[in-house]
Amino acid sequence: MLCALAAIPILIAVAVRLSSAVPAGRGPAFLDRITQNGLFVGVTAMVVSVPLFLPLTVGVVAGDTIAGEAGQGTLRYLLVAPAGRIRLLLVKYAGAAVFVVVGPLVVALTGAGIGAALFRVGPVTLLSGDTIGTGEAMVRLLLIAAYLAVSLLGLSAIGLFISTLTDVPVGAMAATVVLSVVAQVLDALPQLEWLHPWLFSHYWLDFGDLLRQPVSWDSFAANVLLQGGYIAVFGALAYGRFITKDVLS
Amino acid sequence: MTRAGNRAWLRWLPAAAVPAVIAAGALAGSLPASAGDPLPPKTPEQVLQLIAQHREPALSGTLEQSSELGLPELPKTGPGTDSSNAWLELLTGPHTARVYLDGPDNARVQVMDRLAERNAVRHGNELWFYNSKDNTASHVQLPADGAGKRVEGKDSAVTPDQLASMLLAKIDSSTEVTVGADVQVAGRAAYNLVLTPKSVATLVSSVSVAVDGQTGLPLGVQVKARGQADPVFGVAYTNLSLGAPDASLFTFSPPPGATVKEVPAPEYKAGTEHATPPAKDSTHKPAVTGSGWDSVIAFPAGTATSASETSALLQQATVPVQGGRLLSTALVNVLVLDDGRVVAGSVPVERLQAAAAEK
Repeated sequence: MLCALAAIPILIAVAVRLSSAVPAGRGPAFLDRITQNGLFVGVTAMVVSVPLFLPLTVGVVAGDTIAGEAGQGTLRYLLVAPAGRIRLLLVKYAGAAVFVVVGPLVVALTGAGIGAALFRVGPVTLLSGDTIGTGEAMVRLLLIAAYLAVSLLGLSAIGLFISTLTDVPVGAMAATVVLSVVAQVLDALPQLEWLHPWLFSHYWLDFGDLLRQPVSWDSFAANVLLQGGYIAVFGALAYGRFITKDVLS
Repeated sequence: MTRAGNRAWLRWLPAAAVPAVIAAGALAGSLPASAGDPLPPKTPEQVLQLIAQHREPALSGTLEQSSELGLPELPKTGPGTDSSNAWLELLTGPHTARVYLDGPDNARVQVMDRLAERNAVRHGNELWFYNSKDNTASHVQLPADGAGKRVEGKDSAVTPDQLASMLLAKIDSSTEVTVGADVQVAGRAAYNLVLTPKSVATLVSSVSVAVDGQTGLPLGVQVKARGQADPVFGVAYTNLSLGAPDASLFTFSPPPGATVKEVPAPEYKAGTEHATPPAKDSTHKPAVTGSGWDSVIAFPAGTATSASETSALLQQATVPVQGGRLLSTALVNVLVLDDGRVVAGSVPVERLQAAAAEK
């Protein structure tokens, strides 16, 4: 799955390299900047993968945590070991969290790498019109990857909870992915404005705030708070469900 | 069995407790920070004096602007948003902007869009506009004699300070000025100066200006329309720190690869004021009937065509009424007559039609 994620920036870079110049303001954000600066491949790839590809992979990993073991019939053997259910739940969530951290990082670094290979790399123009050096640009790129990792922690907590509900891993995966799509659709409806700050996908695309000069940390802080809330709620739900569950398989 | 049942119930306790804690936290956060009245009471005259004596500030802050004018919301992304209707876009929907000011000569406004940003930077007589969406920059060299004056242009009237000075300059006998209960803006206690039109013929119900109790700096402006409880237009700081911002923020050079347009100062003025049909020569001079809040401005024939060509969106936003097409918002009605004249005013449609019929 990490390879699938890594394929996104490679596809973008090759497509832009082979095609003619992209007119400004068309296509995904930053696409027109790639020919001027290869580092933008990483940023564009993250813009492209946030709405679907990253939630898709996170949904697969998080949905598989408990339901996967139950589906294979290995869950009861895991519980035979004197480790306890809470610890198993924590370890499973930690595994999903590691993927959540690595996923955006792979997209960012592959993007920067393929961009550097196919295009020239130089000072990076920020959204504010200021330019920063390549080193600082890499720091910003890693910050965006960290932002996306935080953004997806809430979704993986939801996936963990759904995974405790069923013995069919595919069902848990699909439900998690569908939820992420539903949240984004709700976020796009202006009639539901009161609900928007509570949707886990609300700040997903606000990582652009890290590309301003000076960096605007407001959305990062709000995002951490929101995702923390989702982790607490769905972690508690997963705990309640998994501790009281009759494990038969 | 009962013991096991009890224990199973206990396991779900965190799942119930955590949302309760979050709900309590959200409620506590939404309550007003302090209900006290920490500022010494002042008369409207004293508050006006407080505003008048505040100096050109050095500050950095975040502005939240919201408009509920009743205009159709424009798409924020996609090819529909080009620079020609960027000004119209500012009137619809909410916006966040960061403002940096240091004396009259240094200013920077950053309108923060999702994955994009619009910048206006002023450093001395140099004025730069930058739009990250299409990577274009415009440069204006202001005339040296106007250096001490207010920056004129579309991004100039964005701060509550500038908006308030525009509004307060127009206070006359048609306006009742009162001081309401103190408000909290950006964590600062502020006087709430309320301007209420004495006329009942206007759509404006009241305008309130939040004035910082310490410095006299206007922190926010809210406009309420008749018949609507929520403000139809509001701009206020959500975050404010006084003190000179980093000087490097005011030096702007166009990024490599950007399209740079050199705009001469006079043309720039005309170009950015196409929002309101310009009255360039005497034949196109608008006529004002009435005074104060319920005045009606009539533009002679010829202005409507140029205004409607500016944006097809404007055409879409209007509805046909008797005698022409009407652009109706909560605060302003604009009537484009069939003979090309335009009458506008913060008054009901009937008054516009009556004013049009007088001619």
